[in-house]
Amino acid sequence: MLFQELTLTLDRFWADQGCVLVPPHDGEVGAGTFYPTTFLRSLGPAPWKVAGIAPSRRPADGRNGDNPYRFQYFFQYQVLLKPSPADVQDVYLASLERLGIDARAHDVRFVEDNWESPTLGAWGLGWEVWMNGMEITQFTYFQQVGGQDCRPVSVELTYGLERIAMYLQGVEHGFDVQVAPGVTMGDLRRDFEIQHCRYNFEESDPDLQRLLFEKYEAEARRLIQDGLVYPGYDFVLKASHAFNLLDARGVLSQTERQGYVQRVRRLAEASARAYLAGLDAGNEAAA
Amino acid sequence: MARLLFEIGTEELPSWYVAQGRESLLALARERLAEARLSHGEIRSYATPRRLTIDVFELADRSERRSERRRGPSAKVAFDEAGAPTRAAVGFARGQGIDPSELVVEETDRGAYLFANVETGGEAAAALLPELLAGLVRDLPAPRKMRWGDVEVAFVRPIAWLLARLDGDTLPVEVAGVRAGATTRGHRFHAPEPLELGAIDDYLPALRNAKVLADPEERRAATVTAITEAAEGEGLQPVWDDDLLDEVVDLVEWPTAIVGRFDASYLALPDEVLATVMIHHQRFVPLRTAEGAIADRFVGVSNTEVSDTTPVRAGYEAVLGGRLYDARFFWDADRQKTLAQHAWALSGIGFQKDLGSMADKVTRVREAAPRLATALGVSDEVAAVLDTALPIFRADLATEMVFELPELEGVMARAYAQAEGQPGVVARALEDGVRPKAPGGALPEGEPGAILAVSDRADKLLGFFALGKRPSGSADPFGLRRDAGALARIAALRDWDLPLRRIMATVAGGYEHGDTVIDDAVVDEVTGFVWDRVAALLAEEGVGVRTVRAATAGRPSVVLAARRAHLLRALAGTEAFAELLTLYKRAANLAENASEGGAPDPSLFEAEQEAPLFEALPAARSGAGDLLDELRRQLPAWQLGAGPARKPSPGKALARVLALKDPLDRFLDGVLVMVDDPALRNNRLALLREVSEVLAELGALEELRG
Repeated sequence: MLFQELTLTLDRFWADQGCVLVPPHDGEVGAGTFYPTTFLRSLGPAPWKVAGIAPSRRPADGRNGDNPYRFQYFFQYQVLLKPSPADVQDVYLASLERLGIDARAHDVRFVEDNWESPTLGAWGLGWEVWMNGMEITQFTYFQQVGGQDCRPVSVELTYGLERIAMYLQGVEHGFDVQVAPGVTMGDLRRDFEIQHCRYNFEESDPDLQRLLFEKYEAEARRLIQDGLVYPGYDFVLKASHAFNLLDARGVLSQTERQGYVQRVRRLAEASARAYLAGLDAGNEAAA
Repeated sequence: MARLLFEIGTEELPSWYVAQGRESLLALARERLAEARLSHGEIRSYATPRRLTIDVFELADRSERRSERRRGPSAKVAFDEAGAPTRAAVGFARGQGIDPSELVVEETDRGAYLFANVETGGEAAAALLPELLAGLVRDLPAPRKMRWGDVEVAFVRPIAWLLARLDGDTLPVEVAGVRAGATTRGHRFHAPEPLELGAIDDYLPALRNAKVLADPEERRAATVTAITEAAEGEGLQPVWDDDLLDEVVDLVEWPTAIVGRFDASYLALPDEVLATVMIHHQRFVPLRTAEGAIADRFVGVSNTEVSDTTPVRAGYEAVLGGRLYDARFFWDADRQKTLAQHAWALSGIGFQKDLGSMADKVTRVREAAPRLATALGVSDEVAAVLDTALPIFRADLATEMVFELPELEGVMARAYAQAEGQPGVVARALEDGVRPKAPGGALPEGEPGAILAVSDRADKLLGFFALGKRPSGSADPFGLRRDAGALARIAALRDWDLPLRRIMATVAGGYEHGDTVIDDAVVDEVTGFVWDRVAALLAEEGVGVRTVRAATAGRPSVVLAARRAHLLRALAGTEAFAELLTLYKRAANLAENASEGGAPDPSLFEAEQEAPLFEALPAARSGAGDLLDELRRQLPAWQLGAGPARKPSPGKALARVLALKDPLDRFLDGVLVMVDDPALRNNRLALLREVSEVLAELGALEELRG
């Protein structure tokens, strides 16, 4: 199955499950969880189902394309269901079947994983889904997001698309995955990956990123205080990425690193509070 | 009599909770059935990653009946002038569920009161159980629970189904958004359809048929057999690891062993690295050859019995290959630097906010460990090994391998030290220096490593106590009890005769140049904290609290305290010792009045009982010394907590100590100590002080019950 068929199949599958298909967020994020359609929409009482491919960047994970599994830019397929359906495991397994993975022919297992994002003030319980020893999906029941209790609870499914594609196509490197007829992932991303690795590890200007972090942080705080949650949250994401670049560059001491994590977390929590306050105000206006 | 089967079907539980959840459910069920006064016979319990089950035999059909007499308001306020019950009386009757006419008045020693004779119990089990079982689900203890959907109940993972059967009937249990039905479920993939259950006796066989081994013992045995057979098929043996086996057994309902291989070039990595990568990342069982070397093969335990193992094997091998690739990358990258260079990076690794970085910590240990070595009087060779090891102690914390696989700390220090050509004893000391890595784990093998390990732990204890971060109650977030226990075990096994408090005071020297102040009070407090651990370890050996207190008094070394504890324990039953103890207590009580001062002066003896006691002292003193020497020979240093290999059998030396008994007895009976003449009085007190000092060699005997 071509990579693009894989995402189309998942789109079709989750659309049939009642999900809204949203296009990728247009800024750098560390994971689909950072998407406003996940992070913010997992808060509050309203039901919500969303799915879509989620390109993500983790500068420190780059390996110049040497490691078959690890990249600084990669694709997740992100699904959020609120409230979490009682049969969500079965639905998820049905999605694998749609991809041509027959669970009876493999060792598919739900292995405990306690997910926590210190920068998002979020945690949840669930599993890594293993297929023949390989983690192919993170499956998480959100308990807190942005420091706020989740009621009702959402479930987040994050498919590792490259890994699943590698398995389905029987290739041994993420770059060897066929995206479209005659086009591999490497064709699309090899130079991009290598150049970004060089940038992340060697060329990025730490002074600039520190400065940007300060500015993004201040802007996020100002906007969130003014009730402009979405623009404010965009700057939280920018600040988070600036921190990730500093981290990859190896210029942060342990304590300094911890300090940055706390600062992003405070912004994420402020965004979550402001978002919920906005929901309440909206409800009052409606009533 | 009935039989009750209750199964909580769940989405996959964490493997560590499967056994714990089964035990908790069993305990909670016992508690709740007792509260409901439902008597029962044996309760069996089962658990897999997808279910926790209890099977209750001989459950009473009704709760036990009881008559109770409950006291109400006093008769004075219970009836009005016309003799009709007041609101107080009516209210009491209603509260007890009886008619006011059934109330009786009885005299008590505090006057006349209303009483209600109430019959309780006798309720049908079938009526009590639905709520009782729902309560088990709501209240099952777990360290960390979660919520799901819009369900208001929290559990370890979402509840998927409930099966509640009382003999042939399904009980209407409803909790966590689930209503109990008549079906269970088999293996997630092999038998996905709901499984009808015939008789309760069919539970295990029906599940076995549906490829679920619900009995944990049966599943464990099946797992061990499957792994062993798979290994033997390759002419190899499994490398057993108890934690791994526990985990693997509780990751599956239907264990199936699959053998895989990895590229033999990875065998150049240290064995521990290979084993840890297999165990830590993939829960694979490493295999070894008959000669003990790690082989290029492993066993993975699948939950699914696939018809063609090829894709599963290929998947296992690919993932492990990636992990080993990373491990070799770390191994190569880390060796680009020497351990001394890695040590520079310790300043970037935090130890504790107010106690500085790991570099600061290691600097303190560099100061403290040689002092401890000197205090212990170690050989020049040991001192030289320490000297070489200290600048690179814990440097492996800064390596990528340890960052990725923290459980390899120490092991990597040894491996990298060997790789860079450090002497074997230095490499050994570096690994020893972080031992034991778990409670009950292996202790340092050599003296230099033991000195490192004790210095390191004592430094941590002193620092945290100085900051006021001592454990309270059961909370011990920094693992200080573990450190204290480790320290005590090492000091005991090394047979160090250095008093425990001196170890602490010596290591405190590492803090001389910093901001953290370690004063005598902190040293005392930490010393007391370690003694508490010694007491706990000795308690595991069967030594009572008082005996421990007696044995640890007077600032002894850990090993002396442990030996004295076992000596006192052995003497405790003997009559002669009990008599001596009584006399000792009288003598010690009187001796407390003694002013500081010199030895008794025989020229001042007046009573005939004084000289014999005085003359018995030298023999008793040497007897006590010999007794302790004898004890040291009889009880070679042992693993604290496990107990010495044999009991002490005191010989003639004890007789010399016990020989004090008669002269002391006569002295205490015949001599008035507290006479008016100060010279005479002080001389007699001095004599008694010497007696108590001799006996105190064996411990603070006043702590013992006479």
